[in-house]
Amino acid sequence: MKTLIFAVNILLPLAYAGTVWAYAKAFFKNSILAKKIKTPLLAVTILVHAAYLLARTVLFDHPPITTIFEIMSVIAFSIAFSYRVIEYVTNTRNTGYFILILPFIFQLISSVFIQDLTDVRSVLRSHLLGAHVVSAILGYSAFAISAVYGFLYLMLYHHIKSNRFGVVYENLPNLEKLEGLAITAVFSGFVLLTIAIFVGLIWLPRAFENFSYFDPKLVGTVIVWALYGTGLISKRAIGWQGRKIMILSIVAFTVSVFSMTVINIFFSGFHRFY
Amino acid sequence: MELCLIGINHRTALVDVREKLWFSDEELRSVLSVLKAKYFSECFIISTCNRTELYGIGDNVPIEDVIRYLLEFKSVSNPETRGALYVLRNCRAASHLFKLASGTDSMIVGDIQILNQVKTHYNLALESQTTGTYAAKLVQTAFHVGKRTRFETSICEGAVSVSYAAVELSNKIFSNLAEKSALLIGAGETGEITAKNLVARGVGRLTIANRTRSKADELAGSIGGASINFEDLHAHLKDVDIVISSVNSPTYIITADQVRRTMRERSNAPLLIVDIGVPRNIDPEVNKLDNVFVHTMDSLSRIVDQNMNRRRTEIPAVNAIIFEELSSLVHWFESLQVNPTISDLREMFESVRADEVKKHINRFAKDDRELVEIVTKRIVNKLLHLPTTNLKNGTGSGDSIDERHSRIDAIRTLFGLHKPADNGADRSASEKTSHE
Repeated sequence: MKTLIFAVNILLPLAYAGTVWAYAKAFFKNSILAKKIKTPLLAVTILVHAAYLLARTVLFDHPPITTIFEIMSVIAFSIAFSYRVIEYVTNTRNTGYFILILPFIFQLISSVFIQDLTDVRSVLRSHLLGAHVVSAILGYSAFAISAVYGFLYLMLYHHIKSNRFGVVYENLPNLEKLEGLAITAVFSGFVLLTIAIFVGLIWLPRAFENFSYFDPKLVGTVIVWALYGTGLISKRAIGWQGRKIMILSIVAFTVSVFSMTVINIFFSGFHRFY
Repeated sequence: MELCLIGINHRTALVDVREKLWFSDEELRSVLSVLKAKYFSECFIISTCNRTELYGIGDNVPIEDVIRYLLEFKSVSNPETRGALYVLRNCRAASHLFKLASGTDSMIVGDIQILNQVKTHYNLALESQTTGTYAAKLVQTAFHVGKRTRFETSICEGAVSVSYAAVELSNKIFSNLAEKSALLIGAGETGEITAKNLVARGVGRLTIANRTRSKADELAGSIGGASINFEDLHAHLKDVDIVISSVNSPTYIITADQVRRTMRERSNAPLLIVDIGVPRNIDPEVNKLDNVFVHTMDSLSRIVDQNMNRRRTEIPAVNAIIFEELSSLVHWFESLQVNPTISDLREMFESVRADEVKKHINRFAKDDRELVEIVTKRIVNKLLHLPTTNLKNGTGSGDSIDERHSRIDAIRTLFGLHKPADNGADRSASEKTSHE
């Protein structure tokens, strides 16, 4: 079992690389073969990844959320899976390259640095923690997807404005669709992050004696949540749309990356497990 | 048996020469009957504004006589027309039809509207009873080429006219044109065509503003939509998503300040403005505003040029499809030739066997005679098994069409078999096919 997990750990970045390659060939070179194989390739990669995460959970007796590199693998999976769902539901098949490059990078880093831990802190075996972390990961994955769609929107926007009618103009979905996809992803991410914060606020004070509402990670998360919330309210109440709202989604995602990385690494608090 | 193509098209002649060889439906009916009676076993003619092409199948076709007949029928005597005619045979002729079907021979690369015309003219020949198995297979393969080209390549994709480029642009900004409304300012030709295309693509609402109100009313009536006074167009800007402007005006008819106010009123919802007026109708500063996209004739022409270039890059992929379909057509043609040869060979062997058995059967005991029949039939079958298989499938790698025809010819000569009776597959024709 351990050998199999080791082999899949090496295989997964390769599978993501192959999938990204197929999506890139389909987008930039209009390759018929790539167009045919890209979605099945992604489906197989997602299935293998799901089996890998399940196998790790069973073999090491804890969900794969105990180290930053395990979490990276879960993020890679959730982005790839969410993208496949978007592709299926909206029939938007031309944006895969830009989205799937994220799971490829996350999984590559995870595969290189991941460790096989069997002994983890008891606090990391809590079910509430599972719900808290999974909803947070899914939420941030949705934000990542919204940021990519926001980026694609801005790219197409500038291409149309500046009369550049090349590959980007030809192959990307229209601006309204890209905006719709980004907003849907922001809304899904906002709901999931709300759940993560809510579950966290129930579980954290119980699990940690030194719990503080001014913990940097908690404050950072609430700022991210507030930014996305403001964006959604602005869209609904003030009627913001187009470029402005897409810039806001990218700014909010940049802040969330900052919150997840810099704050997590440099500001030590109770809310840090590894 | 050979396939001949005699034609004239936009590449070989200007319209004043081409039009002299254009055939009406009535003319086609009478010409096809004569051609079939005198020169071909099967024939059909495609006659459109860009080309007239005669596809005929027959033995030892006197091409010059056919050309002379066609020119006489249309009362054309000038040598210029004769010079513009081209003649292609067999594979080249079939390949030309496939290029036509794929849109690579069209005036605008990728335009496959010609397929409908091929269908119409083939049906006309069918009604006139001048077609048969070969023409049917040829046209059927041409349609298959057209279908594969559409689905397997992007040679037909992308707008190739300025008016369609404007529609393509609106499709790059908006998801559903049915939910959008458009405003046409002026009633110029390009603007009118663009508006018509938008309506054809299902734009939700069209409003027309023209300095002469009656003209706007008339246009609104003909393409569907409402008309407004020219002076009221600024008040309507907030209600529309697409503006097409094509008026003659020495000053800008829409300024940046007006659009800025409009954008506030429409909650900054995207606005596409297509300015096809000369001099420009829209202040270029408008394009600097958020969510406003201004495009002129120059940018639309750029879209058209890029689409044309992209279509051209698909030609090698289309040629690969044509080659595959041509090979399959040649294979089909060969099979028509192989089957009669196998049948003749078996018949000949069976006749020798039956004669010999008949001659000597009395030498065998009555009980053994049935066995003799069985054994001799088995010997003949075993002797013919390998040659039959090789004739059908070839002998393996490097088995060219020429080699297969030589083999069929050798078998027919060695065993003294008659040439296939009027099945359209004699050796000379196949030889020519293979060489083209």
